[in-house]
Amino acid sequence: MSMYPSHFAEPVIQKDSQAASRNELAHIPIKAATNDSSDSIFFGVLQNKLVKYITKKGNRSLANELLTETFEIIKRTQIERYNLSKSDREKIIIDAEKLLINAIENSRPLLQLSAIKRGGVKYQVPIPLTEKKSYFLAMKWLLDAAREKDRKVKLPEKLAWEILDAACGQGRVIKKKDDLHRQCESNRAYAHYRWS
Amino acid sequence: MKMFRKQFVHLSRVSTHLQRNAIAPCIASPAAEMSTNVAPAAADTSSAATNEFRTGVTNPGEHSELHVAKFYTIPVEEKKQIFSGGGLPKQYEQQIKTFTEACLMVRSPALELLQYIKNADLTNPAVRYVLYGDNGVGKTLTMAHVLHYGALNEFLLVHVPWAPNWMKRPKEAANSASQEGFIDLPFDAAAWLVHFKTQNAKLLGKLQLKTSKEYVWSKRESTPAGAPLMELVEHGIARIKYASETTAALLAELKQLASARQCKIMVAIDGFNAFFHPITRIFSDNKQRVTPERITLTQPFLDITNYDWTNGVCVLSVDKIAMTEGYMASYMPRYLLGKDGFEHLDPFVPVHVGNYTDKEFLSYINYYLDRHWISRAQPGFEEQLKFMSNMNPYTLMQLVRGL
Repeated sequence: MSMYPSHFAEPVIQKDSQAASRNELAHIPIKAATNDSSDSIFFGVLQNKLVKYITKKGNRSLANELLTETFEIIKRTQIERYNLSKSDREKIIIDAEKLLINAIENSRPLLQLSAIKRGGVKYQVPIPLTEKKSYFLAMKWLLDAAREKDRKVKLPEKLAWEILDAACGQGRVIKKKDDLHRQCESNRAYAHYRWS
Repeated sequence: MKMFRKQFVHLSRVSTHLQRNAIAPCIASPAAEMSTNVAPAAADTSSAATNEFRTGVTNPGEHSELHVAKFYTIPVEEKKQIFSGGGLPKQYEQQIKTFTEACLMVRSPALELLQYIKNADLTNPAVRYVLYGDNGVGKTLTMAHVLHYGALNEFLLVHVPWAPNWMKRPKEAANSASQEGFIDLPFDAAAWLVHFKTQNAKLLGKLQLKTSKEYVWSKRESTPAGAPLMELVEHGIARIKYASETTAALLAELKQLASARQCKIMVAIDGFNAFFHPITRIFSDNKQRVTPERITLTQPFLDITNYDWTNGVCVLSVDKIAMTEGYMASYMPRYLLGKDGFEHLDPFVPVHVGNYTDKEFLSYINYYLDRHWISRAQPGFEEQLKFMSNMNPYTLMQLVRGL
């Protein structure tokens, strides 16, 4: 639900790209920019979204701090690997944001199972996911995996490991996604219950 | 929704899945993940010596205006000798470990201080230099630079890495046996003796310093006159109960020996104003907080920062965070030391440590880029960092963490 009518355009936040869309948007009403978006080097769209998911009880600044710490740990481990490896150094990604994006892209599911009642029996029917929902699930799984930890381990530490694992296509989150896909595959016979 | 599309407009769902296999080998296998020891980046450092933000001169005595805003590397053994018991901030240690080299930037306050020390006439009473400045401007690292100079130039180092630790979080507090109503910090004193030993073991072996009088610790234990100074230190470490007294004896001996021109001493105390804080967090027997002067460690360190001896220099730093809440309004020495402390140190040479200059700031950014610590270098990021950090070293370090 948006408070704006559908013909309102999304605001362009990056200053550099504002000039390009100026003519296009000249006579179109534009939505107000949200107060958490900014044109700074610290802003990333996906990063911002993840901070919102980490937040508990509205303590956004703590969530921000946690993600920053996560990035720090990722960078430290990756730089350590960079220094250890003698060959193919160029292949090691040190940029934490890039790794986060890779991790989320890798753990995005395509299908989901939903219970649909046909003839008095509930069937687990595979249904395709929207893009938004798949991003949500990927980030939620990453966080769930990170929160399932020993009490002595800090969240940034565990989240960093999960992100690094998922970025190279391993780990619990990827396994969870593959499991879901496998179940959808085995229930493909019910797929037509979605519409009939 | 649209936000995401903007970012991944070129990535269709299928291509993402194809990409996964391409990404996989980019990251080392999880077996390597757990290793914590870092091999030195040999290939980098050899070529890096020629960078415009680095200097090959590793002897702080040779640093001059030419080397301002350049990084010099502290050799591993020297770092181990001087800083293994503290002396570098924890986060800086972490950075050193990640970057696989101990680099310090040559900054003007340190150069100013080194200039004074080099030109000082050591036959005159010890000169007190007081480093002061706002939070996170590099007082401790300036002191580290000077300490490195001292270690290389045969100064005996009397270095307290962070004095407030004694007042704020001592390991153990016990009633003093020798002085009525005083409090001993046996473990902290022993830890300091160990620190003193690691810093000066080589030099003490060479100088062959002897004690001037006999010290009787108990009925059976005593250190005879003419025993090597190392024996005194060893005694304090072995018999933790007497560590505080040993420290006092050691400092008194050192003062005498320096005045007798047998050695020269560099006193470096970080957070010196903690000795003049109104209260500590240590409780006496009657559940009252004691004042710093009731701690047996305080007096010897105040004595060695006095001007009644020669052949030494005192580098002290006053710090806001050495105080507790309610006493942190200003970073000026007069405020932090209070009346007593100021009169104790007067006259001293104040050395102001400030934020980075433009040149130092850019040099630091270059260093971070060289070490891959800033991996997202968007156009104009220096400007933003400069604006946000106000060129304060610590704030910059914090900001750059997530980049």
